[in-house]
Amino acid sequence: MRLTNGHRPRTRHGRNRHAIPGDAAAIAARDLVVGYGGARVLDGLDLVVERGTTTALVGPNGSGKSTLLRTLVRLLRPEAGAVLLDGAAIQRLPTREVARRLAVLPQQPEVPAGITVRELTEQGRYPHVGALRTLGAADRDAVDRALEATGMQTFAHRRVDELSGGERQKAWIALALAQDTPMLLLDEPTTFLDLGHQFEVLELVGRLRDETGLTVVLVLHDLNQAARHAARLVVLDRGAVVADGTPARVLTRELLRDIFRVHAEVTVDTDGVPVAHPKSWAGPRQDPQTQESNARVPDAPT
Amino acid sequence: MSAQISAPAAPTAEHGRSPVRSRRLIVPMGALALLLALAALHLATGTQQLGIFEVAAALLTSREVDSLHHQIVVDIRLPRTLVAATAGGMLALAGALLQSVLRNPLAAPSVLGVSSGAVLLAALAVTFGPPVGTLGPVLPLLALVGGLGAGLAVYTLGRHRGRTDPTRLILVGVLLSGIAASATAAVVIVGGSSVSGVLRWMIGSINGRVWHDWHVLWPWALVTIPLALATARVGNLLQIGDEAAAAVGLPVERARLLLVLLAAMLTAGAVAIVGAVAFVGLIVPHAVRGLVGADTRRVFPLSLVAGAALLLAADAVVSTVRVELPGDPLSPPALLPVGVLTAFLGGAFFAVVLLRRPHQSGVS
Repeated sequence: MRLTNGHRPRTRHGRNRHAIPGDAAAIAARDLVVGYGGARVLDGLDLVVERGTTTALVGPNGSGKSTLLRTLVRLLRPEAGAVLLDGAAIQRLPTREVARRLAVLPQQPEVPAGITVRELTEQGRYPHVGALRTLGAADRDAVDRALEATGMQTFAHRRVDELSGGERQKAWIALALAQDTPMLLLDEPTTFLDLGHQFEVLELVGRLRDETGLTVVLVLHDLNQAARHAARLVVLDRGAVVADGTPARVLTRELLRDIFRVHAEVTVDTDGVPVAHPKSWAGPRQDPQTQESNARVPDAPT
Repeated sequence: MSAQISAPAAPTAEHGRSPVRSRRLIVPMGALALLLALAALHLATGTQQLGIFEVAAALLTSREVDSLHHQIVVDIRLPRTLVAATAGGMLALAGALLQSVLRNPLAAPSVLGVSSGAVLLAALAVTFGPPVGTLGPVLPLLALVGGLGAGLAVYTLGRHRGRTDPTRLILVGVLLSGIAASATAAVVIVGGSSVSGVLRWMIGSINGRVWHDWHVLWPWALVTIPLALATARVGNLLQIGDEAAAAVGLPVERARLLLVLLAAMLTAGAVAIVGAVAFVGLIVPHAVRGLVGADTRRVFPLSLVAGAALLLAADAVVSTVRVELPGDPLSPPALLPVGVLTAFLGGAFFAVVLLRRPHQSGVS
């Protein structure tokens, strides 16, 4: 684990520092600079995600974790640097080609009125079918499999806007699965779900990874949830990676105090998963950068 | 990835689909049959009521055999039937496009400012231009220009930092519509001439439409309708939200421009010939969605057919009603403009919707 907390190494000018042979990396960020209207949210960030693993992006509000995910899936365009998908610059790939390789579940997707679960799921076939051709047998099979995998067959003809939050989230996941991609990125997929549905959704994603070699990247708010469901935690703070490694190495009292500003104990569960027990707020940040960084990114999405 | 997901329990899924499949066939077939029946009724209806067989005979025979019926049906009523069906279909299709692209069940062609823009230019031409008789073929084209201009203005003003937002588009559209309507009123008052001539455009009327109007309308319809129907899959994607649509690889801004432009073209073409007929573009797609769900692959074509049917039916009704309009020498026998009836139908329709489903009918 690298816990650099504010003293992260400048990698902007040290290219190939994290060079990994293209075939091992499913998706990678190189020297990523992303901003909203002048305010920099990510400033020279590097990340390499390996195939068939689950990586959780965590960090405090405004740390840039959702910005990173949205840039990785080309929903945001970086000001500098590049996202490499299977070694190729994602901005240069046709957008439907990208959508055949990676699927993304956006944060709090809208609720489409009057559309059924099956019709929503069918939208995931657009990258394969295009705007003018109609769905073929292979597409209907993919939709069937996606509904089956999410357990939504019985809801196929129900309207999405009439479902509960958990079912609705699974319908959106079915859309992403219907894209039939080797990579799935989810932006806070468990927000607004009750505990049972949180586990159901995360275990579903884990099962797909185990069965199909899916590469999974999640943005999660809950550290314990991230520790339980991801093999690797990437902690972001102020647009930079401040810690990166297995949950057991990353989830420490120091990290919780320095980055998340809570006093906490960390224990190890009977199954070896680290668990944080926050006790109290550790007060505002001590270092001089606080004010500046708050002013810099006033309303960066979390 | 899902190639290796355990094989689907296909039988249950198939089982659940079959009744829906058959219903999906019944609805379009029924709609088409209704449209044909209404077209026949429309041809038979008017000052001189004809039977279905008389209509058929007039259509099939040549002028020499039955001059009077041939004249009534082919020279007078057939263009009116064709114009009513096509314009009604175009307005409803435009409404369906807009309701999906703006993700607002209350969006309608009038929201984009296209109708008001077309009416404004028509009012200007009628008031300050040469006498209406000599304007003839130019008037619809002028209205077309006005409508498209207004639509483009709304889209341009609705852009912000290279992006459009449905809510912003609607607000700008409502704003420009209001300005154009005020300008039209000002033109009528200042010009002080032929209020009824302008009123025909403002309310919308198919009275006295002749073959010439049809010849302006059909090439426009032939281009815009197939293009609009072909965007159904794109409409579905825009319907699920910008982010999700972009995630599956849709160029969202270009797609929205395309659909808004097509809706503006459909509206401008229809309004240029029949005027700003109210509510067809609002209630038809709304009702169609209530009937077959929100999937635009069904909503677009069915709105086209149902819009045609509605305007045919409404026009058949008004063509049997005689009213004394004082001082209106231009619309030959004093007939009610069809826009009055559709506006009334629209009001009644929403009253029923609101009373039946008080909690579901609002903007979602």
